Amino acid sequence: MKTNGTAPLSGYRVLDLAGPLAFHCVKLLADMGADVVKVEPPGGDPARHVPPFKDDMPHAEKSLYFLHYNTNKRGITLNLDAREGRSIFLQLARSAHVVVETFRPGHMDELGLGYGALSGTNPGLVMASLTPFGQTGPWRDYKATDIAGLALSNLMVMTGEPGEPPLQAPGEVAYGMASTYGAFGVAVALYHRENGGKGQHIDVSMHECGAHIAGYFIPQYGATGAKPSRASRKGEETDLYDPYPAKNGYVRIFIIPSEQWRRLVDWMGRPEAIAGPEFEKMEHRRQHPEPVLRTITEFCKRHTKEELYEEGQKRRISVTPINTAREFMESAHTKARHLFLEMEHPAVGKYLHYGPVPRFSETPGRVTRTAPLIGEHNEEIYCGELGFSKKDLITLGAAGVI
Amino acid sequence: MQQLPLEGIRVLELTTGAAGPTCARVLCEFGAEVIRVETRLRGDGHRGEDPKKWNKKPDFVKLHRGKKSFTVNMKLDKGRELVKQLAKKCDVLVENYGLGVLERWGLDYPQLKELNPSCILVRVKGLGCTGPHAADLTWGPNVGNIMGGTYLWNYPGATTATAEPRTQHPDFMGGVTGAFAVVLALMQRKKIGQGQWIDNAQLEIGASLLGPRYLEYSVNGREPGPEGNRSLVAAPYGAYRCKGDDRWCAIAVYTQEEWEKFSRLLEHSGLDRNGQFTTHLERVRRREELDRWVEMWTSQRDAYEVMEKLQGIGVCAAVVQDVEDQFTRDAQYAARGFLVKLKEPEAGVVVTEGIPVRLSETPGRVRGAAPLMGEHTQEIARDLLGLSDAEIKTLEQEGVLT
Repeated sequence: MKTNGTAPLSGYRVLDLAGPLAFHCVKLLADMGADVVKVEPPGGDPARHVPPFKDDMPHAEKSLYFLHYNTNKRGITLNLDAREGRSIFLQLARSAHVVVETFRPGHMDELGLGYGALSGTNPGLVMASLTPFGQTGPWRDYKATDIAGLALSNLMVMTGEPGEPPLQAPGEVAYGMASTYGAFGVAVALYHRENGGKGQHIDVSMHECGAHIAGYFIPQYGATGAKPSRASRKGEETDLYDPYPAKNGYVRIFIIPSEQWRRLVDWMGRPEAIAGPEFEKMEHRRQHPEPVLRTITEFCKRHTKEELYEEGQKRRISVTPINTAREFMESAHTKARHLFLEMEHPAVGKYLHYGPVPRFSETPGRVTRTAPLIGEHNEEIYCGELGFSKKDLITLGAAGVI
Repeated sequence: MQQLPLEGIRVLELTTGAAGPTCARVLCEFGAEVIRVETRLRGDGHRGEDPKKWNKKPDFVKLHRGKKSFTVNMKLDKGRELVKQLAKKCDVLVENYGLGVLERWGLDYPQLKELNPSCILVRVKGLGCTGPHAADLTWGPNVGNIMGGTYLWNYPGATTATAEPRTQHPDFMGGVTGAFAVVLALMQRKKIGQGQWIDNAQLEIGASLLGPRYLEYSVNGREPGPEGNRSLVAAPYGAYRCKGDDRWCAIAVYTQEEWEKFSRLLEHSGLDRNGQFTTHLERVRRREELDRWVEMWTSQRDAYEVMEKLQGIGVCAAVVQDVEDQFTRDAQYAARGFLVKLKEPEAGVVVTEGIPVRLSETPGRVRGAAPLMGEHTQEIARDLLGLSDAEIKTLEQEGVLT
């Protein structure tokens, strides 16, 4: 894509106090060009100790989890539990456009860094607070990590084998959805500000965002009383979600419109068991899953998943391979779109970074730097922007402030 | 009523499925006027194929509440011309048809730019608009297959293809991300004096959350596999069986301090652990035995009692809720008024999820019922396209406005 502008959020300063719940939120802002300053406690963000690690060696600079989420940021250390640390944060907040934080509700106020305090000297400030349950309500002080967000969302009760423990999803999707809504809220608040409005405080609840991941179960329950579970979803999925075994793995064939069904039957050579016109109706297929499952399974077993994918799509049928992470990374499509960018980190070495998405035609996002080492930009920010001397940094470091 | 932040922004929606509709719906909730283009010639996936049920689907209400419906036959030159006229009067075009449809209708970016250079186009597609598989037919559920998410969503060492439930999170996350991008592009429009288009691939947006897994491959050369509910940093961790049929509570104990409170609580209720599980390492290594010990306690108790008791001592715990629980037992949704009742003209009362991002100065609002098929066709033809009643009647008789 050509570019005749800068990144969408270039010129905006974000102070990042986020824990994992809002990691994807700040990544979106950073990838879209914001100048993100990650504020870590002295010794570094606890997420530096989250696996996986380079060579499986636990090390504060080798967490691949941290690396994915903190690329494109600068990093400083600052102890918000120390009075001097808080006063430095207030100075930083004066020139910031956005603060993103994930502390329990009320914690920032207790530190004297609540929205009221920060916006007093900077009325345009946008502060996004992403928390498990939001700023109000009886559960507001409850602890919840991603698995708890999934559990409450009704997604987990449907995941896994009937009778077995419900399963969490890979990739922290409850955090991901909360983060996405958080980034959207920040964008709206900045838009309002650009139109002459003042700043504001944004309250995002992971628990509420979780309800938006799971599909249509809430509106359907109100209408029909349907209560899906791991047991109920067995047997309701014929040719909708069922994976079919290929020679070398699985494909999923996901058919809604009847013309796609007809194309599939033609492709399989019109096998007698399911060629009848009554099978064009999804309801009929669900009522008679046996011949459908058997016939499609027999067909798929004769081909590789790549053959099924290529030929199925050529025939305008929604067939996709069930890929591993490696197969996705190495696929021709991923490569053609340059989704992974070669980068280098001082402790991790060369790696492939997940590039900025979504993609803007005129003002695309960008990757400018790898994740910061602990306190890497202390001098740049404290001396360069706040006017501290190098000697001051020694004093502040010894006092446990930075 | 308070003015909404995106008031004055008009969105033209040419979509199907869920991701495109979600993008436009989120913009609508923050003030945009959304005109959904559809046709009586064929019900959209969520209206269904049966005309008698077009206005009665709870899924449709969730996706389209608050929008306007304009019905037109896009197979006719006159129909396409009317929609082009509408595009001239819109700030944003949201679309997610298969690649080639928008091109055929004369509304892909180069053509749209001729019509209306300040319009922003967001293409909320499965695999994006470039690359060898850009034209693939996909839906939210089979986008996860391609990125590796479906494969990873399983029990460790599983022999099945996947445990992924019937869900489509890339649809919803992709839609909200698209709305985020649109707001950024609206801000950019002022700076660069023109619109732009956004390649908003659900695949790439959803896959971003698997970034650490991709790094596991690109840095360590190891193919990540399904991990189920396993954690190396927390134990107990996972879903624990509670009293009742298929009742579970997710529990995650991260620190030694949490563990000490947790184990004391269980011991006080008469469960002896014989000096076991004292260290983090022992708990993670002997997780199966630990889980059995924990379930001796949880299985005797109601899932909500487990959650309340554990949250009372500061331990992360959350009921594995089903949709009925969300309606009847989720005290937090109730207190925050999260579930929103809409009175639909034909569907009756439909309950949908509220807005999970709350802005203090410019909050969004669920703006009303979903439109009946073609409810606003005449209004839009008259007020926006400037057609006379006689012209509208002729276009209806010619099968253009239908």
